[in-house]
Amino acid sequence: MASRSELSAFLESVERRAFKQAVFAVRDEEAALDIVQDAMLRLAEKYGHRPAEELPLLFHRIVQNAIRDWFRRQKVRSLWTTLLSSLSPSRGEDDEQDPLETLQPADGSNMEEAPAEQLERAQVLEIIEQELARLPARQREAFVMRYWEELDVAETARVMGCSEGSVKTHCSRAAHALAAALRARGITL
Amino acid sequence: MSPAKRPEQAMNEFQFGDKIRHILNQGLSLDSRKAARLQAARELALARKRPEPVGVLASTGVWAGNMVGDFGGWTGLSLRVLVPVAMLLIGFGAIYTWQQNQRAAEVEEIDAQLLTGDLPIDAYLDRGFQNYLKTRAAEE
Repeated sequence: MASRSELSAFLESVERRAFKQAVFAVRDEEAALDIVQDAMLRLAEKYGHRPAEELPLLFHRIVQNAIRDWFRRQKVRSLWTTLLSSLSPSRGEDDEQDPLETLQPADGSNMEEAPAEQLERAQVLEIIEQELARLPARQREAFVMRYWEELDVAETARVMGCSEGSVKTHCSRAAHALAAALRARGITL
Repeated sequence: MSPAKRPEQAMNEFQFGDKIRHILNQGLSLDSRKAARLQAARELALARKRPEPVGVLASTGVWAGNMVGDFGGWTGLSLRVLVPVAMLLIGFGAIYTWQQNQRAAEVEEIDAQLLTGDLPIDAYLDRGFQNYLKTRAAEE
């Protein structure tokens, strides 16, 4: 049984990567924070008594399920929004907002004083994150589990609920697609 | 793709993944608001964790764990379910055997009294006993 300190250390070690993965998937930082919080609560409430070595697979599985739940809820919400907006009167032109007024600058886009290398590294990181977010969901899941979370093929298959062959296929396609996208943007690793 | 190229390509994929991991790990720093939010979520989750067993229960658990092995997973489940079921079956068996023995002893006692003529005269006036004797005679 995982002790409180073991669970705390595990969550601390994994929470930022989980947050980033959720951001890649849902492209909304607030929603990603909610997803990670839900996943942490579910893990502690339902699986807090399990041995510490079982926690990583359980947590990754819970995060993936929480992301899917979020997409399901979004689908229902967008359906209702479409229905209700079709009933409500259309807005006047005065209400229209210029997207440039509310557009937030990307992190690291205002770093004139930073050294060139640091800037370049930040830009490469940003491009990689963008391209990862563009990958098909299953390919991204498989790639991130295998190469960022360092799970083996069997563990990734258990987390994703698919066969090991599918994991290998998803990973290979993701790696090739990501490499090609980075090459197209002038980045060679 | 020829089979000879596969290991090389797999190695390239692994190296590529390794480089991506290093770069992604550099981007894990978060602003203070998000870091605080994650910390609050973690603390909330820890507060909701089931309490750990303490005192006698804990020491019993450790002892049982040492004697029997792992109590988690399928082994734990089977032990928790199978042991009480087995105890119940043994209990039923013991009660059944005891009842059978009791009945045999009663019959034996009556037979012995019949054979030795020790049966009280009142017994022959009892309708139930007469029925019993008829049933026994029919069976034999």
